[in-house]
Amino acid sequence: MKSHWLALLGFCCAAALTAAEPYTIAVIPKGTTHEFWKSIHAGAVKAQRELAAEGIAVNVIWKGPLKEDDREQQVQVVENFIGRRVSGIVLAPLDHKALVAPVETAVRGKIPVVIIDSGLATNVYASFVSTDNREGGRIAARNLGRLLGGKGNVIMLRLQVGSNSTEEREAGFVEVMQQDFPSIRLLSIDQHAGATRDTAKRAAETLLSRYGSVVNGVFAPNESTGAGMLLALRDAGLAGKVKFIAFDSGETLNAGLKSGHIDGLVVQNPMNMGYLGVKTAVAVLRGEKVPARIDTGVGFVTRENFDDPALADIVNPPLDKYLK
Amino acid sequence: MSASLRPLLTRLGPFVGLVLVITLFALPAETREYFLTYNNFKIILTQTVIVAIAALGMTMIIISGGIDLSVGSSVALTSVVGALLIQHGWGPVPVLLTVVAAGGLIGLLNGAAIAGLRMTPFIITLGTLGVARGSAKWLADNQTVNYDASPINGWMTTADPFSRALPVGVWVTVALALLTAVLLRDTLFGRHLFALGSNETAARYSGVRITRMKILGYTTAGCFFGLAGLFQLSRLRQGDPTVAVGLELDIIASVIIGGASLNGGVGTVLGSMIGALIMSVLRNGSQQMGWPTYFQEIIIGLVIIVAVFLDRLRQGKAPA
Repeated sequence: MKSHWLALLGFCCAAALTAAEPYTIAVIPKGTTHEFWKSIHAGAVKAQRELAAEGIAVNVIWKGPLKEDDREQQVQVVENFIGRRVSGIVLAPLDHKALVAPVETAVRGKIPVVIIDSGLATNVYASFVSTDNREGGRIAARNLGRLLGGKGNVIMLRLQVGSNSTEEREAGFVEVMQQDFPSIRLLSIDQHAGATRDTAKRAAETLLSRYGSVVNGVFAPNESTGAGMLLALRDAGLAGKVKFIAFDSGETLNAGLKSGHIDGLVVQNPMNMGYLGVKTAVAVLRGEKVPARIDTGVGFVTRENFDDPALADIVNPPLDKYLK
Repeated sequence: MSASLRPLLTRLGPFVGLVLVITLFALPAETREYFLTYNNFKIILTQTVIVAIAALGMTMIIISGGIDLSVGSSVALTSVVGALLIQHGWGPVPVLLTVVAAGGLIGLLNGAAIAGLRMTPFIITLGTLGVARGSAKWLADNQTVNYDASPINGWMTTADPFSRALPVGVWVTVALALLTAVLLRDTLFGRHLFALGSNETAARYSGVRITRMKILGYTTAGCFFGLAGLFQLSRLRQGDPTVAVGLELDIIASVIIGGASLNGGVGTVLGSMIGALIMSVLRNGSQQMGWPTYFQEIIIGLVIIVAVFLDRLRQGKAPA
């Protein structure tokens, strides 16, 4: 950890020397411990290096909320960057409503904001760079329905209330299940896992103790719910027996996929999100026109296509190359 | 050192701490140009409002020898209550009054249980911490409570972020701090709180009505917590039942850094306000310095320990 901060610092200094006035871009994730956010960080650094090669000096400041998943703390982080007068902000809002006020403040202060990952209920931002999450949920449902042969009992473990990206996935999943698979019964789709792997595991355990004997398929809408569900399935002796589709990739989930405990992962491209987030923010600062909505794409990964080089950047982002 | 100088130094302790912390962040050239600006301090002051208002209530409770662990949950519950009322079309003033009253009601329950059941405040308020948090989620139907618009949204920001004007919340905090200082120093209520915290038995024999004082103290403090909840609502523009988890620790830390004693009988409003500011400055400054988040948590933890230790040294040497 320490060495990568130093590297980043060194990099910022090097960038500062090449141009008189570099752009300072604050990149604010929802949290910092999930691998997902590290990939976004890597993408941001990748953009910074590419821009530096083009002769555009950019300092990327990476800063998550002090307490993860605490809306008030993320508001404070945004405000403090406004106080520091950064050139631009790339933000993954923890809540589609609570972050509106500080973003509006930033824009009023002539600091352009690019929203990544999760939507925000305002239109003052410069661009929204993210996965089409609803489509991702639909893809998960189509594949799970196919694996189950169109019949059986399914559980979906929700992440938490107010998280726009996962709520979209959940909605897309339920939509396709109800429309295209009339013989599949949705046993439970109203339980929330909470923010961490630990709370997700507890919620999953409760669900499996209630429905374990009848469940045939499971969907988890993000990395932490997926990992929690995987642990719970293993403990309950159901791993490999129940068809399991999760969202996002990460070491735990990838290992689960390889061991056959997970049947498929709908993967976003977080590296691309961080990369395009910073690129778009810089483009705005340079007076270029940017689209209001940029889709970063999803893919469906199984054990069979796991080593496909086309998916390498998504499945196994080269974090060390950019963060060490 | 003369005896008359000692209380002055005790008063100045937290203030010296604040100056030290500000100097720490003002020294490095790379942060000074951002950190030492009117605008940055405007942000720091705004971010302090919620903790500061709650710390006013907590100062009363700690002076009376009590503690309240349910503050964070009270803030969440009252912010949800406020958001629901706005959803139902209530205007800002009725919302303000009801939310403050709701906070007062939680305080009343705390005070009545502590005095009536003769149980330690730690246990009772640990219980209400869960009760209030759960009630908030229940009332909010386990999600955030959103509403279209309300004038309350503007109480914690200014129209132009770079103007000199301070948000309403900051002025309310300053006014309430002055009011509370007068209340503690110059009224019977205030003196009885100190008496209660210094020595409950002695206070009883000298005619302080213990039960009534405890209930009154917790209820008044609860009103402050309710107001803090309203400002939390204003900042997030929604009622969030999961907000302010662990806020009680920030608030208690502010009061203790400000020179109050957890044994009761000691504490000042000015100290608690400076304590709250120290916490905000530390957060803001660490971010400006680009320190990683885990480092900030460690620093803030250490500051609490050092502040209390220094305070004990002062107290220990002071004449009884």
